Amino acid sequence: MTALSAPAPAARPRLTGWLLRLHRPALYVWTALVLLTAALLLLLHGPMADAAAESWRRYDACGFDTTCAYGQSAILRYKDWYNYATLAAALVPFLTAAWAGGALLGKELESGTARLSWTQSSTPVRWLAVRLAAPAVLVTAGTGLLAWLHYLAWTAGRGRIDSAKDWYDIGTFHTSGPVLVALSLAGLAAGALAGLLWRRTLPALASGLLLTAVIWGVHLELLPHLWPTLGRSGHGYVASPSGSWTVSHGGNAARYHVTYHPYAHYWPLQLTATAVLLTVTALLTVGCFVVLRRLTGKAATR
Amino acid sequence: MSSPALRGGGLPRTVLRLHRSALLAWAVFVAGASGWLVWLAEVTGKDPNTRDLPCVGDCDTLHLLMGYPTQLSWAGDLIGYGFVAVAGFAGGSLIGRELEYGTAQLAWTQGITPVRWLTAKLALPALAVTAGGTILVLVFRWVSASPPDPSLQFDWTWDTAFMARGPLLVAYALCALAVGVLTGLLLRRALAALGAAAGAMWLLNAVLTSYRFRLWPAVTRTGPHAFDIPDNVALVNEGGDGDSRFATYQPPSHYWPLHLTETAIVLTVAALAVLLSFRLLKHRTEPSA
Repeated sequence: MTALSAPAPAARPRLTGWLLRLHRPALYVWTALVLLTAALLLLLHGPMADAAAESWRRYDACGFDTTCAYGQSAILRYKDWYNYATLAAALVPFLTAAWAGGALLGKELESGTARLSWTQSSTPVRWLAVRLAAPAVLVTAGTGLLAWLHYLAWTAGRGRIDSAKDWYDIGTFHTSGPVLVALSLAGLAAGALAGLLWRRTLPALASGLLLTAVIWGVHLELLPHLWPTLGRSGHGYVASPSGSWTVSHGGNAARYHVTYHPYAHYWPLQLTATAVLLTVTALLTVGCFVVLRRLTGKAATR
Repeated sequence: MSSPALRGGGLPRTVLRLHRSALLAWAVFVAGASGWLVWLAEVTGKDPNTRDLPCVGDCDTLHLLMGYPTQLSWAGDLIGYGFVAVAGFAGGSLIGRELEYGTAQLAWTQGITPVRWLTAKLALPALAVTAGGTILVLVFRWVSASPPDPSLQFDWTWDTAFMARGPLLVAYALCALAVGVLTGLLLRRALAALGAAAGAMWLLNAVLTSYRFRLWPAVTRTGPHAFDIPDNVALVNEGGDGDSRFATYQPPSHYWPLHLTETAIVLTVAALAVLLSFRLLKHRTEPSA
């Protein structure tokens, strides 16, 4: 019906509109997740960090006076909710991969609605391009906001709250910078590739998740080597400076050495890791189009 | 094809055949996680370069993420949250997909009653989940009984150590199966049921984890001044005012009462979910006479 009444050029902007309409539930869930986590991070950044910092100040002032009340609950509340916010943000790449493999591509290819739409004035290449680009924009916007707010929440506690996470804590590092955005985009591309390869909902969902977990694991292993470490060695047991991430240590009492990343390496590590992950994302995206081309034949891609 | 043939073992075989890739994935998961734990205990934990203790003497610790405690915590999370995947499978693949595509409804016209269909769908995965979960519990108990170094003994309050040293781990997996089946029957759509079942089980676990140490009467200590609480206890509450202090906590000797109480709660949820599933199925398939 639409194919008859609407000329082909008018269909161009509609493709995105239909995509958003088709995935309204996912859009609502995503919006709710981003807004709730953002609100929690703002609370952590402001009142909760202030309360915990005040408790730590009183605790340090207590000294050895063991009957001194300092308000432990504020400290524990900050710690618990900080961990929940970190977990929510760190799960985004995996949720994106599962959704992209299962709902975005796997289901449409399994049920045949993809083939139907390829006969309706949208070429397979444009069909896939819209399905990758529109979610990528939404994922980038959402994770960008979360990463920025998480960084603010973490810096609000740094130096004031003794129990705050170190900058190299796996959860904190991966949710407080562009690495979160890049990992989420890699998850989207990994899920999409799994969907195109399986063309079945549930196996695509599972293998998209698995592929993202592999990317995440390899990335974790490579991370400390993405920027040159500093080193120290000497007699006795040398330690790395406080606040730095010890990468290796060893030797014997006569000659002991440590290598480490100081806090100044935070942004170089974030940006290099982001670049590596975006390269992986680009390769996965190219893979998606190659698989699509095989699927549809050269003629259909135009 | 005739119904006597199906009654004589055909239905279980059909369920197994339909979900053989899931069964294979479960076998790979159980074998892989067990192998990883054994490797950690026997190789990583005994090698001074990777056990990640303060490195004294001739040793060279290469990378923190390769160390025994870090790897153990990853392996523990994998085992401890495996039930989320069971819930997703039960909601999405086992029930939701069959109802969405109408293959279940087709089977009900082929001499298989809905009740027998659901019984087979519950019983066979329950067997697989119980067998695999028991293996994981036994391996975990063996690993936790012989730490490579006294300082690497697990904290008994650690989520995975608490769950995986007894039947609680299996109970969570069975509950995930039942909740997944109920979600699949309710939503009748694969992806929606997968997401809802995994989310619901994760939430149940999160709630029970936060109330875990309140499920059995705790030990209370009071005193005029601050006092040291014994090591290795789970602190429930502490406080006081100017001239009196109190603390309530669970000592390690309360492990089994706590563990079994939580197991009973989780199994009750599972039983309720199974009951509701059968009632829902009967309500749907039997004409209201």
